[in-house]
Amino acid sequence: MRIGIVCPYSFDVPGGVQNHVMDLAEALIALGHEVSVLAPADEDSPLPPYVVPAGRAVPLPYNGSVARIAFGPVSTARVRRWITRGEFDVLHVHEPLTLSLSLLAVLSARGPVVATFHTAITRSRALAAAQGVLQIVLERITARIAVSALARKVQVEHLDGGAVEIPNGVAVAKFADAEPLPGWPGECGPGTGGALGFLGRFTEPRKGFPVLRDAFVELAPRRPGLRLLVAGPGDRDDLYDQFPASLHDRVTFLGLVSEEDKARMLRSVHLYVAPNTGGESFGMILTEALAAGTTVVASDLDAFRRVLDGGRAGRLFPTGNPAALRDALAELLDDPGARAELTACGDQVVATFDWPVVARRVLEVYAAAIEATDGRVIDEEWVGLG
Amino acid sequence: MPGMWWAVGAVVAVGLLSAYLVWTAGRVERLHDRAELAARALDAHLLRRAAAAAVLAERRYGVELYAAARIALDAHPDEREAAENDLTRQLRAVQLDPADPDCEAVIAASRRLALARQVHTDLVRDARAARGRPLVRLLRMGRGREWPRYFDIDDPTLTVPADVPTA
Repeated sequence: MRIGIVCPYSFDVPGGVQNHVMDLAEALIALGHEVSVLAPADEDSPLPPYVVPAGRAVPLPYNGSVARIAFGPVSTARVRRWITRGEFDVLHVHEPLTLSLSLLAVLSARGPVVATFHTAITRSRALAAAQGVLQIVLERITARIAVSALARKVQVEHLDGGAVEIPNGVAVAKFADAEPLPGWPGECGPGTGGALGFLGRFTEPRKGFPVLRDAFVELAPRRPGLRLLVAGPGDRDDLYDQFPASLHDRVTFLGLVSEEDKARMLRSVHLYVAPNTGGESFGMILTEALAAGTTVVASDLDAFRRVLDGGRAGRLFPTGNPAALRDALAELLDDPGARAELTACGDQVVATFDWPVVARRVLEVYAAAIEATDGRVIDEEWVGLG
Repeated sequence: MPGMWWAVGAVVAVGLLSAYLVWTAGRVERLHDRAELAARALDAHLLRRAAAAAVLAERRYGVELYAAARIALDAHPDEREAAENDLTRQLRAVQLDPADPDCEAVIAASRRLALARQVHTDLVRDARAARGRPLVRLLRMGRGREWPRYFDIDDPTLTVPADVPTA
């Protein structure tokens, strides 16, 4: 099958959607399909061979962060040329409701169009006001995919349509084979040692870092050798200021890590802790920790409970409760049998998130979209004039 | 000469209006075409599932499932939704083993049917929304074509028993 994928955000900056698009493209290629990915990027930036650059992206604040996107007449011309030359059997756009290449592609193409929605934009006034315009975009999409139950809920409630829920994939092998950092995870026996991991912006309240800090500060004096490994954006001093000076040598800060180092970091700890207090729509990091074979301890949020199979693939603790987290950590660090039981279950859970499995489900959606449309993806005068 | 500008304005307005009308008529046509194609795909997947269920029933599980599959295959259009729901219920009642190729065929057919149903429902909704717009009704665009109909069945996805050992 010839598949054209459009990524709205520039590959110059790492991000969830970009990673998703790259992993999906690679999984589809591995299954024997021809894939071309159109993404904003400079002509001379280093890109995988299957990516077609669509020109420089401009920064634009969107949904609380800065997205780099491409939009305008030049981008439109490039999108249309790419569609004409590609002769795709199916066009797969990501986040088609942002001002981006994805939107341009949907408006320029006729034929089987599949769209994946990543963000769970909850109740937006802009969304309601623009319903008429949105309808023109949405009715050009043949089949919709949502990556989380929450993103699907938005589809059903606000965009007046269903969507197939297909979770984000995980490149299981990348995580399972990663080399732990030198000197980690170290010893872990009854009442002594052990390594805990946290990944994310520790200053962001919804990530719940203070819950983990409180649990660690209480547990560390009672448990010699217990260490904490923190990765994510933020200032070093801001992190260490949160801990008493006596514990500074037991906290290691890695700063912002690459995808590769993230895998190594997850392999370097006995327990990965996700103390989030809300705002997670899927819990990608949990599936990654499971793929790394690390035991997960997570707050009892809907999204986490779903990924962890109701607590069989990882330990859940009451959200925002440091004392409960502390007890769970102490218990699991003392009990390698319980950890092994959880990770064994985790292996089975994570197998359903492995990219080849997820890519096959996406291919079924492509097939459904192709059956419901006539012929290939063709370039068309803008917004169907003519 | 203000009179001339009025004339120019009127010509532009008429031009824009007719362009809009032509575009809307094209949109209504296109959405109807798509809904029809989706209905055909849905029909094919319903037949495929019923056939797979009949094959399975002949080998295992017996009469009741076979009867449900036959009724779904032969159902009159008015009774088809009920017959398909009945088949879904029958399939849920039996223990399906994903390792068995006949069971796997039914599970896969049900999954594909769920996708076809989803796509069909969305496309019918789009077509009906476009057809229902006041201007479209006033000018009776899309006349000569039937209103696209929903096919209202339960989600046919079969939940396979998880092969995760219960702790």
